[in-house]
Amino acid sequence: MNVRLVFTGRSYDRAQAMPEVLDLPPGCSLREALAQIDSALGDDAKLPGTALVCVGGKHLGTVASPAEHQLSEGDELVLVAPVAGG
Amino acid sequence: MIDDYRREDSSKRPPPATAPRPLVTLTRMQLSEEELARYQRQIGPGVLTRDGQLRLKQATVLVTRVGGMGGPAAQMLTMAGVGRVILAHGGELISPDLNRQVLGREAGLGRPRVEQFAETLRSLNRFVEVEAIGHEPDDRQALELARRCTLIVACPPTFEERLRLNRAAFGSGIPLVDAAQWGMTGTLIVCRPGHSACLRCAYPEDPPFEELFPVVGAISSATGSLAALEAIKLISGAGQPLLGKMLVFDGFHGRVDILQLQRNPECSVCGPAANSD
Repeated sequence: MNVRLVFTGRSYDRAQAMPEVLDLPPGCSLREALAQIDSALGDDAKLPGTALVCVGGKHLGTVASPAEHQLSEGDELVLVAPVAGG
Repeated sequence: MIDDYRREDSSKRPPPATAPRPLVTLTRMQLSEEELARYQRQIGPGVLTRDGQLRLKQATVLVTRVGGMGGPAAQMLTMAGVGRVILAHGGELISPDLNRQVLGREAGLGRPRVEQFAETLRSLNRFVEVEAIGHEPDDRQALELARRCTLIVACPPTFEERLRLNRAAFGSGIPLVDAAQWGMTGTLIVCRPGHSACLRCAYPEDPPFEELFPVVGAISSATGSLAALEAIKLISGAGQPLLGKMLVFDGFHGRVDILQLQRNPECSVCGPAANSD
């Protein structure tokens, strides 16, 4: 199944090599998708564990501690790396 | 037409059953003719009622800090007629500040920021009291300030300060509008005790600190202005605040997201067993 992937927030430039659409096995969990993303990112582009995870506009925890959630075809997974500049 | 709208009195209409309690209880204070003239373009349909404008006048807002986002936020709150604006920001103005800190001037380089920023604001609106504090508040001071305020607009560069202001706001029962930026991205989180998640719900662990973050002044100004708009809506009762939501304006990619933040039932700040972190 296809899940659209969006990186935003801080350091959005580091993830430009990632595909906009992830090809995942049917029934893939959010945690499994995040693991796949983590392995695809280079060592210098890892997302912080505090990055917010959202699916379909709903906040589902952080990269380090995502909620239990099963992804569906056509979902949009948004990862927001925390922004703190003042 | 404007005169008709100015006479509108929202207190005569019953609020929706789920509407949060107004942040400001109206007193005998009135708006002068000069004030009504100043604010006539923001009183009317689709903007504020006359009572809403009066609530702004009776409000006190803490803005900390007043750099890239806090400066425009404080400027818009001052121009909108918030009765008292309290600024907190330490240090001296340096050249790299002037790509985004709109309250600063070339002539002020090397001088403490906050007093010159306060002077700039005072020159914009004589109906507003501007108070300047030349340092960032610690835990105790943040709580004391929050108890004097209607709302906090948090614009510091560190999560330590943001989370401190979150604790102070929830400890005092007042809303927090958190504005942040990186590069060409700005984020807003709007929290109100009893009605939404708090900043700690979104960030159960402290995110990393980046001292010299990149930033384009245009995103600072836009984000600060949106923070002021949320504060104005919350205080005046106009519109629908982004309560419990996170707005992400990603200017780099030309994308806007609005995310519904989930309350953490075990949150140390707003959960039932809150211990203020």
